[in-house]
Amino acid sequence: MHLFVQSLGFGVVTASIIAIGAMGFTLQFGLTNVLNLSFGSLMTVGGFVAYLAESAGINVWIGLVLGGLAGAASTLIIGKTIFKVYARRGTRLFEMVMVTLALALIIEYAVDAISRDQIYQLTFPQGTTFNVGAISITAAQLAIVIIGIGIFIALEVMLKMTRLGKALRAMAVDPSLARSCGIPTDRIINTTWLVSGFLCGVAGVVFVINALSVDSYTGTLFLPSVLAAAILGGVGSPGGALVASLVLGVVTELVAAAGGSAYSTVAAFGVLVVVLLSRPSGVLTAASRKVELTV
Amino acid sequence: MGAFTYYISTLVVYFGIDLLSAWSLNLQYGYAGVINFSFIIFQAIGAYIASTVVLGPDTGINAYQTYLFGANLPWPVPLILAALAGAALSAVIGVFALRRIRRDYQAAVMLIVSLIALQVVSADVHLFNGSNGLTGIPKPLEGALNVSLASYQWIYAAFVLAICAVVYVIVQKLCRSSWGRSLRAIRDQEDAAISIGLNPTLLRLEVFILGGAIAGLSGGLLVEFIGAWSPGAWGYAETFVIFTAVLVGGVGNNRGVILGIFLVPILFLELPRFLPAFGYPGLIDAIEWMVIGALWMLGLLVRPRGLIPERRFVAVRGGSGAIAFDGAAPGFFGRLLMVGRGDGVPMRRRAATVAQPAPPADKATAGSASERTELS
Repeated sequence: MHLFVQSLGFGVVTASIIAIGAMGFTLQFGLTNVLNLSFGSLMTVGGFVAYLAESAGINVWIGLVLGGLAGAASTLIIGKTIFKVYARRGTRLFEMVMVTLALALIIEYAVDAISRDQIYQLTFPQGTTFNVGAISITAAQLAIVIIGIGIFIALEVMLKMTRLGKALRAMAVDPSLARSCGIPTDRIINTTWLVSGFLCGVAGVVFVINALSVDSYTGTLFLPSVLAAAILGGVGSPGGALVASLVLGVVTELVAAAGGSAYSTVAAFGVLVVVLLSRPSGVLTAASRKVELTV
Repeated sequence: MGAFTYYISTLVVYFGIDLLSAWSLNLQYGYAGVINFSFIIFQAIGAYIASTVVLGPDTGINAYQTYLFGANLPWPVPLILAALAGAALSAVIGVFALRRIRRDYQAAVMLIVSLIALQVVSADVHLFNGSNGLTGIPKPLEGALNVSLASYQWIYAAFVLAICAVVYVIVQKLCRSSWGRSLRAIRDQEDAAISIGLNPTLLRLEVFILGGAIAGLSGGLLVEFIGAWSPGAWGYAETFVIFTAVLVGGVGNNRGVILGIFLVPILFLELPRFLPAFGYPGLIDAIEWMVIGALWMLGLLVRPRGLIPERRFVAVRGGSGAIAFDGAAPGFFGRLLMVGRGDGVPMRRRAATVAQPAPPADKATAGSASERTELS
């Protein structure tokens, strides 16, 4: 029993890491309709920036922001150059997903080449350990949870209460109508690349803070969880992504605690399969709806 | 035996196995539009099954490797089981991954499957000996044939090419059958295909299982040749070598992919072996993967249908209504004749069977550059 309560605590931490990535992913995907499989590789880039910042003696929180900025900048550049070129040429949705995967491959192995195919260890101080009942959680893990919740609240406020959020939601529903209503769609898209890229980089950094090691495969390994959470939570819904991440994170850690650490991701994936099979409207009606690339 | 002939015969075997893989992927992506990002796991399961059923029962004496399904089966059986294993795994994965969801979702789900399968098989030693993999897989009929290594290499290469020929004939026949036309219909015009009574989900599942069987067979052939199999051999990126070959060679053209396989896995990935080694170990690999990704992106940008694209299917009048002919089938004069007659076919009949070329996507239409299902 004690083990399961403890793993519940780990589950919440894992969920927060997944959630930060999934919220970024779902925001990007919801607006642009690019199912960006290079998201994982860009998370690795964020993680490596955090590693470089740490080895340069920079404070971990500044490293977090730097990792986020690296993610934001690279996502914006990719969105404005590569994705835009393909969209202009009439690349269809399913071809775009192949473009993003090719990009993922390139980024992953570029990082691999630069990092000389090594695993790098980090020594972030984990801080004091708090004990809440049977759950013990380190200060660093607590900070990750708080960051996750903070990002969720900030995103919700941005989407629901600001003019930018209103414009963003309008564009997600109908980009051409939004354009003719005078919404500066280009600027909104740029903002989306920046915000989602920032979250991508931050997700990479918090993953590294928790795992304390980084290599070129880190983000790719973590991509299934992020994708599953984003698909499960419904496109463009940070709240959905958060709840889905919580489910995935807790299931992952519970299965690991039950002795099947090899199968923990499978269990999380099982949740997605069940949802795919039971046809929730959020995931499956998308097939008949006309969707278009907005980049 | 000369090292060079050994090398060439090995390359011929790889060429044959890659061809099988490419036809499997081409059937799925080129004809039915299924983006199978988990292709390599079907090859992997074929390889694992073909190994364990010849390694003998896992009695625990072989302390260095543990595996499931240990047996001692005579030679052609492992290959058949490998194909069946590929088909069975495809059926399981296809049932949920090929639901009527957006095709990019399908692709993402398949990629997740591929990544997770790799993680699980690497982590759980009880399945197929974890990340160390299986070794010591005997070469089939090596004792019975009793020939030199060089002759054995060439015999095996001939055997693989013979299987390629059989698979090619089957795949071509299927692609030209009404079933093949149904596949192209659901790829190009899903809604219209449904309205004439086709079931896209079922058709996709069928082509997925068939492709899985071919992939499993290719895995079995590969492992019997190299004698070992481990998760290192089937990283998620391996799928994209074959995918790139299909994209470069010709999407929906089984002859085009032969060129693609020759160019990408054989020529492009083998040539660097002759380069002097530079950098740290692994740098050349990393660069190769980056170039594979770049080739793939370039292919999608410049020639999304490949160097030798799918032949246009032209409807001709006469016989029993609108029959789709492969443009290559009737020869040069026949083709001249057919193009002329095809132009005379009334529009409403042509609309169903003629694959229309994509109009230039200019800036004005870029906004709706999404699932243009009406274009091929």
